Amino acid sequence: MSTIHRGLTVTVTINEEKVRQVNALLFQFRNELKTNRDQFVKSLPSTFFISWLTLPSQVYSGNEQLPARVILMTSYVGSKKQHLNELVDFLSPQLKQVFGESHEFPKNYAGNADMLNFLRRKSVPNTFYSGFKFLSTSDVAKEKELKLAVWEHAQQLNASKDTSQLTPSNIKRQIEDFVANDPSLNWAVEEIPFARKNRIQMLLPLVLLGLVMATSIICIVLCFFIDTLFVKIMAWVFPLFVIIMGGLLLLLRQNEKNPHIPSDELSDEEIREIVALETHPVINEMTVIAPLKKGWIRRAFLFVSLKLVNFLTYFTYIPTVHTARWLQLDKGKRLVFIANFDNLSEAYAHDFVDSDKRTKNMAVIFSHAFGFPATRWLIHKQYNHRTKYIKGIRANQKITQFWYSQNQYESVENLKRNRVFREGLFKEMDDEAIKKWLLTI
Amino acid sequence: MELEKEDIQGLMVRGHGNLKSARFLLYNCTDPIASCNFLKEITPLITHADEKPEEEAIHIAFTYDGLAFLNLAAPVLNSFCREFKEGMSAEQRRSVLGDIGENNPENWTWGHESIHFLLMVYGKDQEQMDKSILRINEQTDRCGIQLMHTLPTGLLQHQKEHFGFRDDISRPAIRELLKDAPPETSTTFPAGEFIMGYKNLYDEYAPAPFVPHELDKQGLLPFHPDSSERKDLGKNGSYLVFRQMHQNVHAFWQYMKEQTKEKDEAIQLASKMVGRWPDGSPLSLCPIQPNTDLSESNDFGFWDDDQAGLKCPMGAHIRRANPRDHLVTEKSKKDSSEMAAKHQMLRKGRPYGMPVTPELDPKDIMESNEDEQERGLHFICMVTDIRRQFEFVQNNWVSFHKFGGLENDADPIVGNHYNKGPFSTNEFSVPNYPIRKKYTNLPNFTLIKGGAYFFFPGIKALQYIASHD
Repeated sequence: MSTIHRGLTVTVTINEEKVRQVNALLFQFRNELKTNRDQFVKSLPSTFFISWLTLPSQVYSGNEQLPARVILMTSYVGSKKQHLNELVDFLSPQLKQVFGESHEFPKNYAGNADMLNFLRRKSVPNTFYSGFKFLSTSDVAKEKELKLAVWEHAQQLNASKDTSQLTPSNIKRQIEDFVANDPSLNWAVEEIPFARKNRIQMLLPLVLLGLVMATSIICIVLCFFIDTLFVKIMAWVFPLFVIIMGGLLLLLRQNEKNPHIPSDELSDEEIREIVALETHPVINEMTVIAPLKKGWIRRAFLFVSLKLVNFLTYFTYIPTVHTARWLQLDKGKRLVFIANFDNLSEAYAHDFVDSDKRTKNMAVIFSHAFGFPATRWLIHKQYNHRTKYIKGIRANQKITQFWYSQNQYESVENLKRNRVFREGLFKEMDDEAIKKWLLTI
Repeated sequence: MELEKEDIQGLMVRGHGNLKSARFLLYNCTDPIASCNFLKEITPLITHADEKPEEEAIHIAFTYDGLAFLNLAAPVLNSFCREFKEGMSAEQRRSVLGDIGENNPENWTWGHESIHFLLMVYGKDQEQMDKSILRINEQTDRCGIQLMHTLPTGLLQHQKEHFGFRDDISRPAIRELLKDAPPETSTTFPAGEFIMGYKNLYDEYAPAPFVPHELDKQGLLPFHPDSSERKDLGKNGSYLVFRQMHQNVHAFWQYMKEQTKEKDEAIQLASKMVGRWPDGSPLSLCPIQPNTDLSESNDFGFWDDDQAGLKCPMGAHIRRANPRDHLVTEKSKKDSSEMAAKHQMLRKGRPYGMPVTPELDPKDIMESNEDEQERGLHFICMVTDIRRQFEFVQNNWVSFHKFGGLENDADPIVGNHYNKGPFSTNEFSVPNYPIRKKYTNLPNFTLIKGGAYFFFPGIKALQYIASHD
């Protein structure tokens, strides 16, 4: 089984008049979740998060109406096939109720097999980020309990006066003996499954891309010495990539000179409506959906950017974020962004705008969206203010009518620290490394 | 850019430490016109920033309700920030600020119902204070202004607060006030972080309230820097955040005694919670015992040699209120410093109530009997962005029990401590070798008794408010 985190996005268009009805359904499911949450956890073992919302129609480029939609976004671990099967097995009545409002839903729908096909057909690609890689849903609770049990057991060490017992290696050995001899904890003796395999799997596309580019650069040199078709073709790959990216950037700069049109600000009442749903003590969710700024170059550049970002997500770090995704809809004219993060959206938004580095990274994607500040050369601010990023986020933030989180009470740092503790168990370490490892308990 | 000191209320640039007596008076208006007349009378008495008063200082600040009562035009009222308009005690604000349970505004003495404005009166001694109050009472009575609450204050020995710890050591400095052109440091900030109408750390003008230019018929206000259609009501003003924090001094030291074997250990535990020893010396520089030579020390960080919190625990109060150069969620010292800098406040509060013991020595406090006296801190700070500065710190660093990778730890000193079954906020973790120590079931050592958001206007803005059509 893979423990790579992925995002599923399923979306259909609906008539604007149906939005209110679908909202009511989704809010009803949200209320029901308060009482049947345990069933969700039990029946959806691959699922970390579900966001399910409606999107009213939006206007692109001042005159083109983008349709109203229903969007279902899940963050899951493992195989897409298994995840879809779980969703359908557990949620098909709700999926039918909601998606059935769309004219895209099959008229001769007969059952789960049709729902599976429908979800596959209507799923769209996304660029996905996870802040706590390679954890399964069951790992969350298990690793927390493991660490807590070890901490409780190890309290006696704090009281011990026998310094010979308190060398780092002795302490580690005592902890490992405790874990190995406890039937409820000795699962941790085994190596974390699929760890290496999943890392390779995640890095493979980047490695391949790197190999292709490196081969191309080598072929540029070899061209002077070897006259074969393969070398000639490969020699063009890297230069073409640079030329295309450079060309896109120049065209983008031209587009940036268009007069900036600010979006309407969200009213205080609308903001209150959104933040009223941020009532969870640890993790909350935010969805931002905006039409792009005018110009085909925006759609093209964003498309390329999202593809490139996909290669880099293994190395990407976004503080406090559990999962995040970006995608384009409606022939690239809409940007969808969703994140599940620690604490409240205001704090989360500030994690971006307060950091020079992250503002620039954010601009690579968000500067293409209507309502976000103008830029120069993609990442440098023009005459707009960084605080207007916050306004841009709020202006395009949508209410997520239904939201489910498998993990309710562990922050990203908690998850990472629990994993680091587990990884250190039964691993060879020197005294300094052990001392550092003990601090994770 | 030079500060227009004659237009800035004096409290922005000095704390009036030489004026030992201070009282904070909360008022409601009954008649808008009479109230504006009062404001016209009081405006010349408001202390400017270019004065160094020896006898008396008076300052004024308004709530949104107060400005609305004075019939400021709708576009003007609407131009204030959402937090100010909603008010500190608004229901949607409670979970953000941690004002739930015992801290619910319904339990407050003031601030849960409408307050219109605040007068802050400082006097060199009680006799001066009495004179000032007498004069003010005559004016307010004449104008139908009702005194709703009087909040006396009192400076404590050795610049301490009621738990017995040196306070107010870490103070951000406004760069434009420093005599020589200062290097940029972690403790100096552009004026716009605290005073509206100047550039802030983003190199932008902080969002400020404005008046459509046609509504400033007398031409009292300057033009807004970002728009020629607007007059800048916020210029040289600020938002003033006021929270009255009752301190359970006996409960605090009782907890420390219960968790330890002897007084020195109790003081050590309390110091771990604060992040400084009672004399003010920071744990980061002297983790084992206090060093009075370092009582005023503020030039230290955490990144280089205390990322694990072995000296100053991650959850300690000073580390949460100002993480300096180390945030667990950041990957570098530079990034941490950049983030921490964006959430600073200019603190101007004062303690209130009689100290448990005159010298505020923790050992003496631990020996004293519990009394029913009201004592605590009037927490007051000035910011130009309530949400980015005050609310961010209060929510994300002080109240959030997962701050710094912790598990169930709200700020040990000022956090709201409770247990809700699946999660709790009433623990305090102390990194330790071999294993972290955890202190549990912390009660609330402080309780919020009142609070509000105020607009602290510049002098011209005050003149406008007093004489608008």
